[in-house]
Amino acid sequence: MRWRRLRTLLVREGRATLRDPFTITILVAVPLVALLAFGFVLSTEVKGLPLAVLDASDTPASRRLIADLAAQGTFVPRRVVTRAALERALVGGAVSAALVVPPDFDRARARGADRPQVQLVYDGAEAVLAGNAEGYLQALVEAAGATLARPGAPRAGDGVTVAERALFNPTLDGKPFMVAGTFGFVLSFLTILITAVSIVNERLGGTFEQLQVTPATSVEILLGKVLPMGAIFTLDVVLMVVVAGVVLGVWPQGSVLLFVGVSAYYVSISLAAGLLISATSETANEAVQKTVLVSVPLVQLSGFIFPIRSMPIPFQWATTLFPATHYIAVTRGIYLRAEGLTTLWPELLALLGFGVVLIGLALRTMGRRP
Amino acid sequence: MSDPIIRTQGLTRRFGAFTAVDALDIAVAPGTIHAFLGANGSGKSTTIRMLIGLLRPTAGSILVDGIDVIRHPRRVRDRIGYMGQRVSLYQGLSLRENVEFYAGLYGLAGGELEWRWGVLRERFALGEAEAERPEDLPGGLRQRAGLALATLHRPRLLFLDEPTAGVDLHSRALFWELIQEEAAAGVTVFVTTHFLEEADYCDWVSFIDGGRLVADAPPEALRRRFSAGYRIAVALPAAARAAARAVLAAGGHAVEESAEGLRVDSPELAPRLLETLAQLVARHPEARVGIEQPAMTDVFRNVLAPAAGGRA
Repeated sequence: MRWRRLRTLLVREGRATLRDPFTITILVAVPLVALLAFGFVLSTEVKGLPLAVLDASDTPASRRLIADLAAQGTFVPRRVVTRAALERALVGGAVSAALVVPPDFDRARARGADRPQVQLVYDGAEAVLAGNAEGYLQALVEAAGATLARPGAPRAGDGVTVAERALFNPTLDGKPFMVAGTFGFVLSFLTILITAVSIVNERLGGTFEQLQVTPATSVEILLGKVLPMGAIFTLDVVLMVVVAGVVLGVWPQGSVLLFVGVSAYYVSISLAAGLLISATSETANEAVQKTVLVSVPLVQLSGFIFPIRSMPIPFQWATTLFPATHYIAVTRGIYLRAEGLTTLWPELLALLGFGVVLIGLALRTMGRRP
Repeated sequence: MSDPIIRTQGLTRRFGAFTAVDALDIAVAPGTIHAFLGANGSGKSTTIRMLIGLLRPTAGSILVDGIDVIRHPRRVRDRIGYMGQRVSLYQGLSLRENVEFYAGLYGLAGGELEWRWGVLRERFALGEAEAERPEDLPGGLRQRAGLALATLHRPRLLFLDEPTAGVDLHSRALFWELIQEEAAAGVTVFVTTHFLEEADYCDWVSFIDGGRLVADAPPEALRRRFSAGYRIAVALPAAARAAARAVLAAGGHAVEESAEGLRVDSPELAPRLLETLAQLVARHPEARVGIEQPAMTDVFRNVLAPAAGGRA
């Protein structure tokens, strides 16, 4: 490898990218739009949700429970007095969920043997929303109920999962979760797409063939292509971190340096995937279609939007086959829980493995004569 | 022929069940222009891509400038210039930036590059195009720029794949002049084309059909063998025809009468025939001599005709 040849290749790629207004727009707009869209719109956060409340107990304890619920801001309780009114409100769409406090709520609490029980009714047709609402409501009711039941000394094991969640995300805000995941989505989809299309276009334009008859080696040609792209996407990561922080108020809880470092490595994995797609595509259209095809399971199975823990077991196994799954686990670890190398190493090791295989394959494909 | 600078033996390339190039034996003399002719899909580009090491043959051997290209494709790269069917200039970069880019890959820079590019810019008339981007240049100019880039590093061999495709007639003639200048300077030029008449610019013609070599000779030799030959028409007044006929007959040529005067068919334009014609014109200044060269398209039609069969 000669530095002078590599520098020549790097300068050209950099120039070409910076001069192409379309590419620049895509590189800046897509990450930002994705961040804002996923952060604001698609956020799984539940806020201000109308909740019908039928308080059949109507005791100080039940009233306190409902007041606690209202104070969280997640739900806006609306009192109903009959079961029929509750069902009307649900069916008519006036509320998405309803809480029924049974007449014996206070008695059960007083007995102290069991935790007081309440009934949750929701519109099953709105599955995702209802599911999310259920999760929050259950957590809130359990937390509130536990305090009500044993004001003095909560028993070990009560509401453990709730407590854990509150530790890392006390306001149950959905934004950090989505923001951290968006990095995985953008750095997979956009990087693969831009790399694949750029290389296919170069091949169609004849310049790629021309490069191969110059003294430049395959490694130099490959590096000349991927280093500038890697640098640009790493800049994209920094841009997204800043915008997520300034606009959405979401900053990484853990090491920014570790986050950018892992992201830069993940970019190189996506670049390799882009190279492999370009190698098997005759036209730019074909490359785009293949990228979209790869991106569908990326969204469905990487844990980006749908929680992996709630998938059937075979699908949970399948998720581990996507590098994005591991990268998103790492970004959430750093963003939400300030995790470092000591806890993230299994995911990082998996990423390392994917990198070695994909980059190796890309190198082999690029160096091979047809 | 002096030792060939390009030699292939049994060169074969199959794509699955399809044989694109079938047992090709080619020998190219140094400093010549070697045309590789054939219809679209006849195997021209596959062959040229194998010769420059872009494609691995299924069988056979290739020597280019003494180097086994199949085993060491990288070793020939400093010695060859290549211009593909799509002129490989980077869009979005000016011609000058393209020059700097390719020069950088060949280790050409500073004063050496300025001098070399100065010469090429002049010769290829590219001065005005230097600051332009390739996508803004007309086809002929872009083609010249591509050739200039292929010769930037002074290669010993030039491989040109359909360099004149999609270029207007005037630009094509200009382009061939430049190719001939390169050959005159000692560069070996291996050029594919489907414009059969362009064979006349070349020293040697290999004609490929369905991946097989069907003719391999200098263009004149092909004309001699595969056409009715040159048709010489001498228009002159009826009164002078008998005397003129005697002059031609004395030169040993078979003469026929035609409406305008006389007609001679000859397989080649031999010096003796030209001398006889000069004598005739000297004696009959009113005579008008027209020489009709057999078109290469006709020659190749005959090459491909089953009756002609075999190789030239």
